[in-house]
Amino acid sequence: MAKRTTSGRTSDPSKDMRGGVNRRQVIKGAGAAGVTAAALPGLVGARSAFAADYDPMKYAGTEINILMTGDENDHRALNDLLPELKAETGIDLIVSAPALGPLIEKTLQNLKAEQSSFELIEYLGFLTTQQVGGGYFMQLNEFIDDPAETPPDWDFDDFIPAAMRNVGYYDMATGTVGKGTDVYGVPGLHSGSVIYFYRKDLFEEAGLQPASTWDEFMAAAQALHSDDVAGCSFIGANDFSLATVDWYTRFITTGGSLMSGDPNEKNFTPQINSPEGINALQMLIDYLPYAPKNVTQYGFAENVDGFSTGRIAQMIFWSTIAGPVLNEENSLVADVTGTAPVPAAPGHTPSAIQGGWGVGIPANIDPAKRGAAWRALTWVTNKRINRHSIEAYNIDANRTSAFTDPELLEKFPYLEHALSAIENAVIIPTSRIPEFFQMNAMMNVEFNAALIGAQDAKTACDNVQAQWEDVLRKAGHLA
Amino acid sequence: MNPASRERLGTKLGRLDRPGTVVWLLLAPTLLYLAAFAIFPLFYSLRLSFTDLTAAAGTGDWVGLRNYGDLLRDPHFWNATKNSAVMVSASLAIQVVLGVALAMFFNLHLRGAWLVRGILVLPMLITPIVVGVMWRALLNPDWGLINWCIAAVGLEPPNWFGSIEMAMPTLILVESWQWTPFVFIIVYARLQALPQEIFEAAIADGAKPLATFRYVTLPLLMPAIIFAAVFRAVDSFRSFDLIFGLSYGGPARSTTTLSFFSFQNGFQWQNYGYAAAVSYMMLLILAVGTIVLLRFVQIRPGYAK
Repeated sequence: MAKRTTSGRTSDPSKDMRGGVNRRQVIKGAGAAGVTAAALPGLVGARSAFAADYDPMKYAGTEINILMTGDENDHRALNDLLPELKAETGIDLIVSAPALGPLIEKTLQNLKAEQSSFELIEYLGFLTTQQVGGGYFMQLNEFIDDPAETPPDWDFDDFIPAAMRNVGYYDMATGTVGKGTDVYGVPGLHSGSVIYFYRKDLFEEAGLQPASTWDEFMAAAQALHSDDVAGCSFIGANDFSLATVDWYTRFITTGGSLMSGDPNEKNFTPQINSPEGINALQMLIDYLPYAPKNVTQYGFAENVDGFSTGRIAQMIFWSTIAGPVLNEENSLVADVTGTAPVPAAPGHTPSAIQGGWGVGIPANIDPAKRGAAWRALTWVTNKRINRHSIEAYNIDANRTSAFTDPELLEKFPYLEHALSAIENAVIIPTSRIPEFFQMNAMMNVEFNAALIGAQDAKTACDNVQAQWEDVLRKAGHLA
Repeated sequence: MNPASRERLGTKLGRLDRPGTVVWLLLAPTLLYLAAFAIFPLFYSLRLSFTDLTAAAGTGDWVGLRNYGDLLRDPHFWNATKNSAVMVSASLAIQVVLGVALAMFFNLHLRGAWLVRGILVLPMLITPIVVGVMWRALLNPDWGLINWCIAAVGLEPPNWFGSIEMAMPTLILVESWQWTPFVFIIVYARLQALPQEIFEAAIADGAKPLATFRYVTLPLLMPAIIFAAVFRAVDSFRSFDLIFGLSYGGPARSTTTLSFFSFQNGFQWQNYGYAAAVSYMMLLILAVGTIVLLRFVQIRPGYAK
């Protein structure tokens, strides 16, 4: 079936095939059949043919600019290997890596300009609908399917399907992220979700198993709490992760559903003050006697610091902190830290928010640079960068191969849980609308106020409910 | 150069001699600068405040006074207004009282005062965002130096930014720490310039030190105090960077002032139209506040009479 590409051409994938089969379809088909590439000599032969068409130095001398996050270590991992990119492709990649706030602002300025100054832009999964759905990024299918443009070892199907649904696939017709086969971005430079961190030594001493339910989590917090070690911790400060990690994980793993309806049908309705919503916040309030004394001021850094210095017995957190927590150079508890899936209420699957980033090519870049931009994009998302990111910085990868690499698994056992967390993670429904950050901020303020005792859980949830409804109405997502 | 050319040049140069031409030529760069970077943004943001421009909408539609109407119904706007009023009035009172007291103290010309005076003005030389981050570290509940010192003497350290009751006083404390030296310098400079004969006459008339201060010194210092107070009030009202670095408006919006509220709407949530309306409300409040302040406390020569 013919489809329209972002370049305006009508392309028919069936005509863009070698030996009557599209490469992506071959790989997908092989994967679906559970057949490995090694067992398919025909496929290997086809790959060799692609390799013959591919000229790595085709875009030598081109300068490509990437705008990416400077809040994480992604840019460091990339910078480490930039000389190799230059040597292998001749492309000069210039990295700009501001903090999240300026990154979003710079991104919007460039996407809405006549011509973007950045040929590659990294975007948060939470912003896929806003930025990709706004039509600001090029559709990439033609590049992916073109063996002359895509390195033969790039391996599109190696990207974690959940990460692809979060930042890659987008259905423009229905405005739905994760739907269809049209690709607008590639997972990178890291993905991630939430896992459970606990002190193996303390649990063993107390004869406890790592918590698999929230009741067990609470019981362990009570049993392990002492003057030196807090029984548990969480993000208690007015911080992005208070709502998205600690409250939302408890909410969805106890049966909560954040939104009902659809923003396009103007019936996108929050369920914050549902019994599950109030209960999830009440759980955090109930932890206070067993949490660090100043947990209401604990954000990301304070929790990582607290856990790494042995002052916290257990917590759920972004899997990306496994790096500092399990690194013996930075952590006092590296050898006694265990990881597991997040707890869940009986009958519910451990699950949390889907994090991670995507990289795309803005639709408004200089058309002459599109090929080079794609070449650079495939390079910054290749297996080598992915592996290096884990090894050097413990960054959560985007590729299944990195998570299942025996050597890496031996070195970093948490990868097993990090992968299952990503695979089971859910895309937070509010990320479908541009007001996501504003609504999240409102929730964090009200929940933090409940934690410091300024209001009870129900009042906090009622306040958030009212504020969200107001925002949704003003934005036209709720009649 | 032939005579005709010389005449033409002379005519041209002669035009420059017309009254005002040179003045306008010299003013032009400044006027252009002001037009581009002050007047245009002022009117552009005014127009913006009448639109619903957001990052999502792309181009803003004209919505008339809707943003202003929404603002007046927004409890968070009124909360921010209240916080701004509390912060400005409390920090101003502290800064003026302490600034004047310090100026009077240093006017005693004690030995080594020059060194202490130099150290005293250092805080106002630091960028407010750095002051915010620095104090946040000092007041960190787990490892902050101040809490450690308080605990070391056996006292329970306050929960500086962990409670609604403590957050605003802490913010005012830090703001006063940074800007009291400014009031001190202005008042001290004025104090140095006052004629000594008046004080000698007061002493000769048998005025006691307190009476001299109340009826002679203070009235003479008033123009300087008012100048410093107005300047500080405006600056404190606009203060954003200190809050950004120190408390980020929390907890529970207890330190969210109007400038921070405007920042949140504009640069965090990309609600540009609404944020512009907040800014214009700030401008309005500031203009009214300054006029009222200047009307109640008049500055005029011979005020001491």
